[in-house]
Amino acid sequence: MMYDFIIVGAGITGAMIARTLSKYDVSVLVLEKENDVGNHATLANSAIIHSGHDPKHGTLKARFCVEGNRLYDTLEKELKIPLLRSGGLLLSRNAAEVDTLKAIYENAKLNNVPGMKLLEKQALKAKEPNISKTVIMGLDLPTTKITYPWEVALKAMENAINNGVFFAKNTEVFAMAKTENGFDITTNNGVFKSKQIINAAGAFAGKVAAMVENHVPYEVKPRRGEYLVLDRRVKGFLNHTLYPVPNNKGKGTLIVPQVHGNILIGPTNTPQSSLYATPNDVDALSSIKENADKLMTDIPYHQVIRTFAGVRASIDHEDFYIDYSREVDGFMHVAGIDSPGLTAAPAIAEYVVNSLIKSKTTLDPKPNFNPNEPECTMYHALNTAEKKAAFATNKRYGKIICKCERITEGDLMQHITRTLGADTIKGMKKRARVGSGLCQGGYCEHETIKVLAKASNKDQTEIDYYDKDTPVLLKETKVKL
Amino acid sequence: MKKHDIVIIGGGAGGLAAAQGASAPHLDVLLLEKDARLGGILNQCIHTGFGLQHYKEELTGPEYAQRAIRELEGLPITIKTNTTVIAIEKTTDFTITYTNESEGETTIRATACILTTGSFERTRGAIKLPGTRPKGIITAGSAQRYLNIDGYLVGKNIFILGSGDIGLIMARRLTLEGAQVLGVAEILPHASGLTRNIVQCLHDYDIPLYLSHTVTDIRGAGQLRGITISEVDANFQKKPHTEKHFEVDTLMLSVGLIPDITAFNGLSFAKDNRTNGALVNQTFETSLEGLFAAGNALHIHDLVDDVSAESLLAGKHAKAYLENKNQKAASHIDVLVDEHINYCLPQRIQCTQDTDPITFSLRVKAKHEKATLKIMQGDKVLMTRKRQHLAPAEMERITFKNVDRLDDQTPLSLKLEVS
Repeated sequence: MMYDFIIVGAGITGAMIARTLSKYDVSVLVLEKENDVGNHATLANSAIIHSGHDPKHGTLKARFCVEGNRLYDTLEKELKIPLLRSGGLLLSRNAAEVDTLKAIYENAKLNNVPGMKLLEKQALKAKEPNISKTVIMGLDLPTTKITYPWEVALKAMENAINNGVFFAKNTEVFAMAKTENGFDITTNNGVFKSKQIINAAGAFAGKVAAMVENHVPYEVKPRRGEYLVLDRRVKGFLNHTLYPVPNNKGKGTLIVPQVHGNILIGPTNTPQSSLYATPNDVDALSSIKENADKLMTDIPYHQVIRTFAGVRASIDHEDFYIDYSREVDGFMHVAGIDSPGLTAAPAIAEYVVNSLIKSKTTLDPKPNFNPNEPECTMYHALNTAEKKAAFATNKRYGKIICKCERITEGDLMQHITRTLGADTIKGMKKRARVGSGLCQGGYCEHETIKVLAKASNKDQTEIDYYDKDTPVLLKETKVKL
Repeated sequence: MKKHDIVIIGGGAGGLAAAQGASAPHLDVLLLEKDARLGGILNQCIHTGFGLQHYKEELTGPEYAQRAIRELEGLPITIKTNTTVIAIEKTTDFTITYTNESEGETTIRATACILTTGSFERTRGAIKLPGTRPKGIITAGSAQRYLNIDGYLVGKNIFILGSGDIGLIMARRLTLEGAQVLGVAEILPHASGLTRNIVQCLHDYDIPLYLSHTVTDIRGAGQLRGITISEVDANFQKKPHTEKHFEVDTLMLSVGLIPDITAFNGLSFAKDNRTNGALVNQTFETSLEGLFAAGNALHIHDLVDDVSAESLLAGKHAKAYLENKNQKAASHIDVLVDEHINYCLPQRIQCTQDTDPITFSLRVKAKHEKATLKIMQGDKVLMTRKRQHLAPAEMERITFKNVDRLDDQTPLSLKLEVS
């Protein structure tokens, strides 16, 4: 079969492009080398839907950030993704920082960021009581929001699939060859043919592009970001997303309330050579604390439950690189999607489809396109009547698997049987938050393994943690009678 | 809404003893356990060493649990297993919401409540280990559960961080099961576990113990490939050029237990940030009237025998609370400790006519060959006891009998005089 489009990569960008293309009468296949959607940059980031104050006016980043921020309100309704309207505060602590803050304010006005206000110390303190005494002026960014990035990518891809897009996970692209009317794409799962290719491979975009281009117009420069995660029981300590005034090293250390009540502190910004490995570094973690203490007092660090690191898919250009190849007809780059990539993703998808693709290909709308996905509410979030009704149909909602996050066996089943169901422990954690709490899986991992094994008719030793060959249980020791 | 006199949350060693202590023919006592069976963590502790004090006999964990379960036979106690408490609030009574597969979410009321929810294990995130985050890093208790309850081995080449008792026990257990345990690293200059476990689980199997060492790197993407340990100085900073590398598929953490009182966030009671548990008086009542705590949910114990003894008392006091509910609240004095003592329980004493002896449980901060423990009120020395071989890993107890001689205005203080 000859596809109209093959998208390489099912991160937030690839998933959004797939969904936007699914509105049209074209055949689309998404290839993902991992065993799940959103396993790299989409997995490990600040989860912020930025207002668009930061990117330089005139860049794609500025344009898509403001537009993407607005589009998330629609996505919330259609895909039923969680959005926390935290608002943001950009904080300055001395005269030089106030000057930078005012310059950002001017830039943000050009970017058409709505609802901004400069705030003095008292007003800031009223909004955020635990703010540091050294803060003197702030910029109120009311459109700043927080989401749950994995769920956004999953829901976007599920919606694309439900509207006819094909999705192949565990499928890594090894080679691409230009043919007379398209491309042959060789993978570990065979050769696929497509008229056009959209390269949304994130940090791997350079590698993918080099399979067809002699001179890739950018170079991927991965940069690591590390974070501390505070338990959800700190909820209420912080209401807004706090930004320091940026310096030449990027946005700096942010303090971010999360949709489930946790607080994220980070990221760092460290260049690294590997596209994969994301080791945490002890010095980086102490620098996070040092920086965060400049913005807030009495941060409850004793509630840290986890540290993590992610890799930004940065390139050697300041802006996103989104364009058709100048060398190879029908090959499109969607590269350099670092911050504000999560925010920009829906706007990037609109631009890719409506501006770039439509400039050379006629797209006919699909009459039966359904933009909506069902609600995937956790049992604990239902009201009493809804809980009763759910329990009446499935007794497994009565059994708690993850005590820390109040996740029931019924919730797990819902996330196993959804369009893109979980088949690994990590996949389950991304979807249902099981193991995301204080005990980090100590209470619930063995239960999760049993539920996954039973649902897939597998032995418990066949249930992987991450990808293949990462089972938690190595071998059975008891002799079966 | 169903009303009970006493609800006990958690049916491990603590909950079983608390239920036994609280039970009376005229009282409605309900015991809630999240697991399918009673006994809690005892069920996965298939080694011996339990019960020497409480049952005057050496038992395995499951045997000990069975003894404790049998003691409840014939007592008017309602037990619900497979039942998890998800919320608890207090107005005049306690409102407890639990869930299970037969009733769904159910809310009940109780006059008194005993927390015997045990503890959870400190994880990698809480100690901020550097390096990658592959699969293969597991807490010792989880590995123990997989091996002894579910019957699965988690790895073949194993390194253990932390010399807590569960880690030591697992070093032996995994060795017997055919795995290679390459070593145990402890960041402190002394072991955290009981001396008998160091001898019987490490020395007897030639497993090296690296004191003043910690994990300074973790390698591997999806699967753990190796770790590096380094020696640390007195401030726990790594000393350069002291790295030792190990190729392992499993890093097992035995880095401490934390009282699990997370289900009780809806309640406001005073906590002790040294124990991470509640602050209690000698009746094991917290600062919230009618709320009692005991066992590892209160503070971490070395021996289950102590958990049983303490929880039995907590149960008895909860029963007494029900019986004397209309008595006016008594005044309290605080129990203070000096710089050599990490913490002491109870943290405060209720001044009543009751002259029952009070047993203080305390942990010292550092090892001492010899020391003198004093109970004082102001400048007045009320009691003096000489002690030998004190260590942070071994809980000390001192029983104070002359409760009627206490002055109800002055805090009590525990002092450790070290030579």
